[in-house]
Amino acid sequence: MLTELSAYSNRWRKVSPVAKGCFSLCGMVAAFASGSPRTALLVALLVAMAAIFGAGIPPLRYLRVAAPALLFLAISCLSLLVSLDFGDTSGASALHPIVSEFPRTAQVCARSLACLAALLFLALTTPLPDIISLLRRCRVPDTLLDLMVLCYRTLFVLSEALHETITAQSARLGYGSFRLSLRSLGGLVANLTVQVWQRSQALHLATLARNNDGALRFLECSYDNSSVSISLAVTAGSLMIVLALLLP
Amino acid sequence: MSDVILKLEDVSYRYADGTNALNGCSLKIRRAARSAVLGANGAGKTTMFLHLNGILRPTSGQVLCEETPLDYSRSGLRTLRSRVGMVFQNPDSQLFSASVREDVSFGPMNLGLAERIVRTRVEEALQAVGMTAVADKPVHNLSYGQKKRVCIAGVLAMQPEIIVLDEPMAGLDAAMQEELTVILQKLHAAGMTIVIATHDLDFAYAWADETIVMEAGRLLAHGNPVEILRKEDVRQTLGAAPLVAEITSSLSLLGIDLRDKGYLPRSKQELLTVLSKQARQGG
Repeated sequence: MLTELSAYSNRWRKVSPVAKGCFSLCGMVAAFASGSPRTALLVALLVAMAAIFGAGIPPLRYLRVAAPALLFLAISCLSLLVSLDFGDTSGASALHPIVSEFPRTAQVCARSLACLAALLFLALTTPLPDIISLLRRCRVPDTLLDLMVLCYRTLFVLSEALHETITAQSARLGYGSFRLSLRSLGGLVANLTVQVWQRSQALHLATLARNNDGALRFLECSYDNSSVSISLAVTAGSLMIVLALLLP
Repeated sequence: MSDVILKLEDVSYRYADGTNALNGCSLKIRRAARSAVLGANGAGKTTMFLHLNGILRPTSGQVLCEETPLDYSRSGLRTLRSRVGMVFQNPDSQLFSASVREDVSFGPMNLGLAERIVRTRVEEALQAVGMTAVADKPVHNLSYGQKKRVCIAGVLAMQPEIIVLDEPMAGLDAAMQEELTVILQKLHAAGMTIVIATHDLDFAYAWADETIVMEAGRLLAHGNPVEILRKEDVRQTLGAAPLVAEITSSLSLLGIDLRDKGYLPRSKQELLTVLSKQARQGG
């Protein structure tokens, strides 16, 4: 929901998604072009600054959205730095740091961080329908995009249904004990399964009523000065790539 | 050109689970009229509506549009659905794009119209239902009433001749019902045929030109609401009568005729006007 909130309320909401997509892509290219962890970290910082100071994403919210990914990244990088030794004849096992892997791990970690910042930039500044529209322009298969459209919308409908059902169950002491909680949870899953089926049928009827015969077609949003913003985004992104290539 | 735009002739429909939702239902929808379809839950209103749009095909009997039986081929249905727009009861069952503007554009895009025309139609439809201000908001952040209006915009953007609304007032507060009534009034003034399923007898009595009462999958009564909704068998089926009709009937039994220029009041406002006029005359 934080991502959703930022995507719809940031300063660059009305900027063409093509421009934001280009900048995000350049950020990822710059991450891979970085010759050292320091440079990759600088790229990550630049992209994060663009989101925070340019698009006006509150820093705390940015960190909260990034936190799960950062935790995952930290665990992954730590696991790259140690090896599990099962010992010799005594059978004792131990964790040993692999000193020789430090530079490479730092590089992987810094690049991942820069890529994460680039993806967060796009996710926090662009609502999903705009991203889907961007992917449509990039000729991503219709079936995949239709699934994205339906899943995204249904996510909110079902989340509402889920909360309503849990409230109704709680109001009748459905979660009063562990045994009751298990029973209520089973009921909740069964109820939602039926609802998913019924809602999919209803959506199908609604699309038929509006003359649909296959792919979901929508009007693409138009953006003011999109060529200017695309040019600016590509220029800024290119400069970032050049910087990443030039810095040691 | 015939006065009847849609007609059901002895239509029966049986669902896969064996439920007979329509049992020899015959009725007519008059061109440019405001028709209110009434009936208890399970009377077959929604099933009948799904036949008007060609979503369901009768098990027996036939549906006619301008005296011609419906063509259920792909192109026939395409033509029919561009003429008969349907607004479903639950907006979450109709809105499947997360963007308001995108969802409204869905119907006209399916008609294969040029992007420029679709853009104009979308803006016009959003304006007609007063939703231009929320066009860039995500659908899940809208209120229930706003979602209903977006649903109507999605159908209006297809510029149908007939709009069929399944219980549009359900779940709306009084202010939203009033706003929706104004929108419906504008559509009717523009010459659109409007068919509404509703449980709100007061609304049907005040708003409709014609009332269609259904019972157990068939037509029970059809005609002017002032005549139909005061009938005893209709009252029995619906379980009540409109409040204004009850008051005028009770007062007429006491010898007080509330007719104004030959017409009985149909809405609360009309009733109050007539009562105050008669009180002034009496005083």
